[in-house]
Amino acid sequence: MALRPSLTPTARTAAVVFALAAGLTAASIVIDASDGPGGPGGSGGQDAARALHPAAARYEQLSGDGLARQIDAMQTHLRAEPKDAESWAGLGSAYVEQARTSGDPTRYPQADKAFARSLSLEPRDNDVALAGRASLAAARHDFRGALRDADKALKVNSYSQGALAVRVDALVELGRYKDAYTAAEKADSLRPGIPVFTRLAYVHELRGDPAGARRVLLRAQDSATSPSDIAYVSTALGQLAWSQGEYEAARRAYGTALRAVPDYLPALEGRGRTSVADGRQKAGIRDLEAVVRRYPLPAELAALGEAYEARGDRSKARGQYSVVDTWIALARANGVATDLDSALVAADHGDVKEALKAARAEWDRRHTVHTADALAWALHRNGKDEDALKYAKDAAEPGYRNAAFLYHRGVIEKSLGDDGPARRHLKAALDLNPGFSPTGARAAKAALKELGATR
Amino acid sequence: MTAITKSLAALVSCALAAGGLTAAGVAVLQPGTAQASSHREAPLISGQPEYDATDVYAFVSPDKPDTTTMVVNVLPFQDPAGGPNFYKFAHDARYDLHVDNDGDGQGDLLFRWTFKDHLKNGDTFLYNTGPVNSIEDATLNFTQTYDLEVIKLKHQKAVARAKLGSDLPVAPSNVGKASMPDYQKLRDQSVQKIGYSGGSTAFAGQADDPFFLDLRVFDLLYGGDMSEVGNDTLKGYNVQSMALQVPTSALTESKDQPVIGVWATTHRQTADGDWTQVSRLGSPLVNEVVIPRKDKDKFNASSPWDDGQFLKFVQDPELPKLVEQIYKIKAPDTPRDDLVQAFLTGVPKLNQPPNVRPAEELRLNTSIEPNGSPKRLGVLDGDNAGFPNGRRLSDDVLDIALQAMEGELLGKKNDLGDAVDENDQKFGGSFPYLALPSSGSDAKAVSKSAGQSLLNGGSGVGSSSDDNMLLAGSAAAGGGAVLLLGLGFLWMRSRRRGPRVRRH
Repeated sequence: MALRPSLTPTARTAAVVFALAAGLTAASIVIDASDGPGGPGGSGGQDAARALHPAAARYEQLSGDGLARQIDAMQTHLRAEPKDAESWAGLGSAYVEQARTSGDPTRYPQADKAFARSLSLEPRDNDVALAGRASLAAARHDFRGALRDADKALKVNSYSQGALAVRVDALVELGRYKDAYTAAEKADSLRPGIPVFTRLAYVHELRGDPAGARRVLLRAQDSATSPSDIAYVSTALGQLAWSQGEYEAARRAYGTALRAVPDYLPALEGRGRTSVADGRQKAGIRDLEAVVRRYPLPAELAALGEAYEARGDRSKARGQYSVVDTWIALARANGVATDLDSALVAADHGDVKEALKAARAEWDRRHTVHTADALAWALHRNGKDEDALKYAKDAAEPGYRNAAFLYHRGVIEKSLGDDGPARRHLKAALDLNPGFSPTGARAAKAALKELGATR
Repeated sequence: MTAITKSLAALVSCALAAGGLTAAGVAVLQPGTAQASSHREAPLISGQPEYDATDVYAFVSPDKPDTTTMVVNVLPFQDPAGGPNFYKFAHDARYDLHVDNDGDGQGDLLFRWTFKDHLKNGDTFLYNTGPVNSIEDATLNFTQTYDLEVIKLKHQKAVARAKLGSDLPVAPSNVGKASMPDYQKLRDQSVQKIGYSGGSTAFAGQADDPFFLDLRVFDLLYGGDMSEVGNDTLKGYNVQSMALQVPTSALTESKDQPVIGVWATTHRQTADGDWTQVSRLGSPLVNEVVIPRKDKDKFNASSPWDDGQFLKFVQDPELPKLVEQIYKIKAPDTPRDDLVQAFLTGVPKLNQPPNVRPAEELRLNTSIEPNGSPKRLGVLDGDNAGFPNGRRLSDDVLDIALQAMEGELLGKKNDLGDAVDENDQKFGGSFPYLALPSSGSDAKAVSKSAGQSLLNGGSGVGSSSDDNMLLAGSAAAGGGAVLLLGLGFLWMRSRRRGPRVRRH
């Protein structure tokens, strides 16, 4: 902590990365409150009275707002009543939610223990813990495990909103888009609500129906009253608008999200990317720097790097990319699987061999549009364009249109001498979302020029 | 080594030497847990209690015995204190109150509330922009209105519809004395006469939560020690209320068949624009106490007509077995026909309609005169105008249900309860009877509710009795459709003399 105030942004980013790295090797020093909820108990009077209410809430009723307070209350409750299986499951779900919103992965092992505790106290018919454990598996990218647990939970309680939602997530991430669509429609008919609406919208988007996605997200936004729901749903609307090149709509949506929750990082990141796409580099870089200070992960670092690069600041850009490399190297050295984001960033800005390795590993695990695109691009960067094209086509299979994917495909086709399709796809990328990546867009324009086409 | 990696190396040494970065709250990674984005992290949970009915009341109006009053509550635990808190009904929901007047388990009448939001000044999110002296005031920036309609049903199909009221005003949240110096006036203005069957009255808006119980007793199921009971957990908290008073003749099948069954449902709009039932409530405590947790969502989505599927849970309830297991109080023999009557069919000669189909409804015999001095234990204490014959605001349904569960209706006398016997606020003498909501500037309402103990002479509690056992129990909350943990019991065996709950 004492280091922080004197650090420049880059150095501070590096410090956080190293804090992350230190955590990789020093996992054991993490304060582990999950064996028994930690912290001092014994609050009395008014606080105690209020604190008990969230403890008694059914977990579906937990809200993203005031999570820390709700967690405190549940810990207090469980310290007194450690045999309350449902509250253990609720605590686990609250930890998963907290990890999602704060990016603090130490919550995952705590959630794991809370679910295990719940299930050992109540091994039968414990759909709450099963649904929670499914969401944890999904957060850890164990999508098969997530699907398994969601199905188990639904066997107990076919109306479980949490399990219905995670089931959609898992099917999406396993690339089973038709099944995901069926599951999302069923979830919508059984348990309409924000968790289900946002999933259904994403499935629409992946199936090439951004208008349908927008309609469902507006439905969700209309239903949202709590700040965390408003922020989440508005950010999803922003991301959808951005992906369609509708920067003004995106900015409005991110603005709504940030009014609801002023430090909501996904909205800040979205606003930053939108500003950069729109040529408002200064504002965009300011937002992205703020994101990276708290969330120095590969995709975010690369976004900032590319923004620097677009501004002509190559050395600052390299600084960001090298932090990504360091991140990846440390992660791998510590047995942490690098993911799709890091594969893509490495393919563009780092070690292309590592990128291919990571992309292949991910493709072996699951066949999705995202893994197909990452593998295609990594193959291209390693000079294997024939193979690459096959995967680039897979990425378009369910109808999903993503500017980066189209750009990748166009570049691959250009390398293969398929000039017609190359022109078509490069142009489509720039038509769809001209600012999909400041560096990528520049390269796409240059490639089009070489192909004798103008935009 | 580049300059960057050199400085990184220096930093990592610092970080490791300090050893404190992780402990200082900086995010850390653990093997297998460090995944970034590349999949959309989405919430599993989203607290939206405005779609859940928490309590239903139905009683013959004490001051107008030819009318019946029905109340449905949603969105409990509204904290009036700590800022400009305001609460609203969902505008993408249908709040329905069903009346079955021939005992066949199907609704014959359906009252439907639908709400609209209004923002006077779109430039601000402020609830009010100055003192609010009237619900019409321009200073009340955010308002809701509602439409109320009645639908006549035959075999679960609508055969007639009528609008009872349009754009009726919703009583606002009581945000504080400075903003709302005379809240009573705002309440009065939101009580509206409607033209239904020769004169009806409607109210919707914030009210003090009339439910009273001590939720803390839930904790005791798990074998915890009794430390604090006898405190109304809902004291100081508000709720969103929909109330309706109609001539009884408009509800019943005939003069000869005066028993009606009442329940509430909430439907929520799906992404496809359809409507799906997400909440259902009739008698208090049935969904919470009788229905096993794994089937609660199923119950919420179901209709009384299909309640045969839940019959076994009523005939052979878990709760008394649990009590027997933990506290060695013998569970009554099964099947529990007494509970089937209390919860599903109505009690013969009291509130059971002829040819009744077992179905979970709050059954009210409207021909029973209101009692001028109602008893909190209702029928169990010889007051047939109270629960389980309908439900009055003042009925202590938690104690009643608990005592019934343990066999009171079978003659197994017991004195179970949570030591909370009445609501903290006085109910009104006329429609809507609900107490005014606690005000945002009256923060002490909440603090009063904590800190008393059964053992330290806290209110509601005495000692010295010849019972050698005290059972302060809870069979869960109607206010607790939202907060049910399970069931909690406290059984305190006194070391010398058994203290018992003093009824006051």
